Amino acid sequence: MTTLSEKTKSTATDRTPSAPPVLAVSDVHISDRVTDREIVHGVTFDLTPGTSVGIVGESGSGKTLTCRAALGILPPHFEVSDGSIEIGGTDIKTLTPQQWTALRGATISAVFQDPASYLNPSIRVGPQIAEVIHIKKGLNRRQARHRAVELLQATQLREPELVYSQYTHELSGGMLQRVLIAAAIAADPQVLIADEATTALDVTVQAEILDLFADLRERTGLALVVVSHDLAVVAQMCDKVLVMRQGSVVEHGPTHTVLNAPQHEYTRLLIAEHEQYGLEKFRTPQEAS
Amino acid sequence: MMRRILSLTSGRIALGVLTVIALLALFGPLLAPQDPLATSGHTLANPSSAHLLGTDNLGRDVLSRLLDGSRVSVAGALEVASTALVVGAIPGILSVYLGRAFEWVTLRLADTLVALPFLLFAVAVIALLGNGLTQAMLVTGALVSPLFYRVSRAATLAVARSQYVEAALISGASIGWVVRRHVWAKVLPSIAVALAQTIGVGFIIVSSLTFLGIGIQPPKPTWGGLLASDLGYLSYQPWAPLVPALLIMVTVWAANLLADTLRDVSGEAGRALINNRKAHTDRRGKSDLVTSGGAR
Amino acid sequence: MTAQLPAPSVAGTEEPPSAVLEVTDLEVHYGLRRRRRQALHGVSLSVAPGETVGVIGETGSGKSTFARAVLGLVRASAGRIVIGGHDVSAYGNRQWRGLRRRGVVQYVFQDPLRSLDPDLTIGESLAEPLLVHGVPRDEAAERARAFLPRVRLSDELLDRLPGELSGGQRQRVAVARALVTEPRLVILDEPVSALDSANRVQVLEILRELRATGVALVFISHDLGSVAGIADRIAVLHQGELVEVGPARDVITRPQHLYTRLLVSSAPTLRTASADREERKALRALLHA
Repeated sequence: MTTLSEKTKSTATDRTPSAPPVLAVSDVHISDRVTDREIVHGVTFDLTPGTSVGIVGESGSGKTLTCRAALGILPPHFEVSDGSIEIGGTDIKTLTPQQWTALRGATISAVFQDPASYLNPSIRVGPQIAEVIHIKKGLNRRQARHRAVELLQATQLREPELVYSQYTHELSGGMLQRVLIAAAIAADPQVLIADEATTALDVTVQAEILDLFADLRERTGLALVVVSHDLAVVAQMCDKVLVMRQGSVVEHGPTHTVLNAPQHEYTRLLIAEHEQYGLEKFRTPQEAS
Repeated sequence: MMRRILSLTSGRIALGVLTVIALLALFGPLLAPQDPLATSGHTLANPSSAHLLGTDNLGRDVLSRLLDGSRVSVAGALEVASTALVVGAIPGILSVYLGRAFEWVTLRLADTLVALPFLLFAVAVIALLGNGLTQAMLVTGALVSPLFYRVSRAATLAVARSQYVEAALISGASIGWVVRRHVWAKVLPSIAVALAQTIGVGFIIVSSLTFLGIGIQPPKPTWGGLLASDLGYLSYQPWAPLVPALLIMVTVWAANLLADTLRDVSGEAGRALINNRKAHTDRRGKSDLVTSGGAR
Repeated sequence: MTAQLPAPSVAGTEEPPSAVLEVTDLEVHYGLRRRRRQALHGVSLSVAPGETVGVIGETGSGKSTFARAVLGLVRASAGRIVIGGHDVSAYGNRQWRGLRRRGVVQYVFQDPLRSLDPDLTIGESLAEPLLVHGVPRDEAAERARAFLPRVRLSDELLDRLPGELSGGQRQRVAVARALVTEPRLVILDEPVSALDSANRVQVLEILRELRATGVALVFISHDLGSVAGIADRIAVLHQGELVEVGPARDVITRPQHLYTRLLVSSAPTLRTASADREERKALRALLHA
């Protein structure tokens, strides 16, 4: 039953690092205008097509603010005070609101933690996805509906037609998250940011969603940013890892390196926790890659 | 609770005003300089040294009538409030614990009372029971009680399903313990708010009833009665109705201000408010608060 | 324990208390006739004194119903529950109260934000179980405060309100409250799920240290990692049935039941081998067949 880790297969550089990054975050600092305090102190990473970057950190580490900056949805009094973010080569500072609207969904998209709060509870979920398609892709209503069902199927929902016509309260957490993923990939984005997207889900459901992300990555070359407080989730999904603490990146690098040769004590602490209070201690040494 | 209210300016003002009104009610009739019922030839006179607020259409001293009527007016309002409290709040709390049948019966009773047209019902009952202030107030109290029932029931329900109540039950606590230790403190603010509002409403009701001639009969003065009779002479003494109107208005305002203050210091928001102020004064090192520390 | 307590009226014989908890063929269902829902079916489990048993269950597994049945908050439809030698299967409210006042079983809730009365100080909340038992106020306060060091909290928190403590601190207070009556069995329902990494580890360490005191723990969770860290044995609940029970190491390294295998392969791990995506897909297909 034990097989080699997927990571050893994929560390082979079959991803061309020379491809232009779809998302380039360069030394980004984020400050709160109201208190005049810097909250995020310099985050840098590049995301090329088909790769995935993971950000590990607790609440307050700045990981969510970084994501919001990349999506252009920072809270009202926050701003990128230094550094730059480029999406598909374009500096986001130069984007007008109309350009942002065009960009979101079509180039960069996201799913967050509490799926139910992102859907209208009094409308069936299917039409809500169809609406996104209708607006973003310009398809007429009937085509949009058809495409929506296709997307629901692509997210491995077992009865996509049925789910299309259901309300949020009739669906479980895992199913709702799939609906949102369907909406997020409806306009074929190049980057998907998953911010604690599986945190509130049961373990087996989390695995299904993570497997879905991996599938999408393989099939469509979708680039992923996986944000989680769980180092194991990031370790399973990502080629590169950033460890954030209180607004700073304390460690970063290829997953394999960070896990086997952690430099910062916080990283070592996170790893030690898994080894003491996780499944790690039951894995026999010969299974370690 | 009292300390928390006193810590806010609005609370101090409200309680101050209500204390004055209460004193008026208690000692008013004794302070009346002249016999409130004594008529004289000086009708509708302007204020003078003998009659500080002038006289009414029958030459009676307005000030004396005002003072004399304050006890009855205030007592009436309080009667309404306390009746509503007892008839409403206690069944409200109990309805959560005494089983389905009791719950159903009390809920339907409350619904019925709400559905009755108030003034008509009051008049009807008076007609049956005879005209007197106490009867009028009891009836009014009963009709206002659904508010207390609903408020205390809702507050109790919110607490009854909470985890700390379950934790107490798991430790072996009885329902009585739970109510005393956890429920009562949470329900009290809601009831107090309803009470403060009802006192205000009670005044208006007393005034309207006496305005209509129900309850107190002339020549016994009440604030509402004064307002009613003096209004008839508006063209002669335009400001004569002013004082009783002001008194009623100020009392109602103070009661509502107290209710608002109570709401502000209760529950989640209240605790946050007190905590913030505590931190604020700790930082400043001096205090303009009446209380001395403690968030309770 | 010096409390003067009413003895519970026990129907039938008292068995020698070899097991702290003995559940046999427990059935719990909700609703009547057509709308009947089976929450638990044929669940049997025994817990030895001082043992830590982890009950793994996802949403809909019936794990919370199990906890509530053992605590007497939910009536069992069939089966037998014996706690500390007392057969509580047919207990009424008064008998339950009597048993609870003996302080044999206690409970720790999942949500640290709601399990403490927000208007009572920490000291008052801690002392409550003892006060309910009839212990005089001063003695109760004294005895309660002795448990604070056990959960690594300092005395100065005694006069604070729950709102002034962090989530991790509140959860530790909840654990301390469960210990003040020196129970023989403590049931914990997702005690660390709402906590961040550092607090999670701290609480798990505290629970591990409790074993030295001889109290048995039933740790209910959906997170295999947390449970694996401290459990002697693991029981797996799936859709109301106990599908597998065994020593922790065996259940994790050599799971027998299909669902357990899926569970174990779904749990994300660090650098050690994680099961193939394909394998998970195969297991899911088999499960849903």
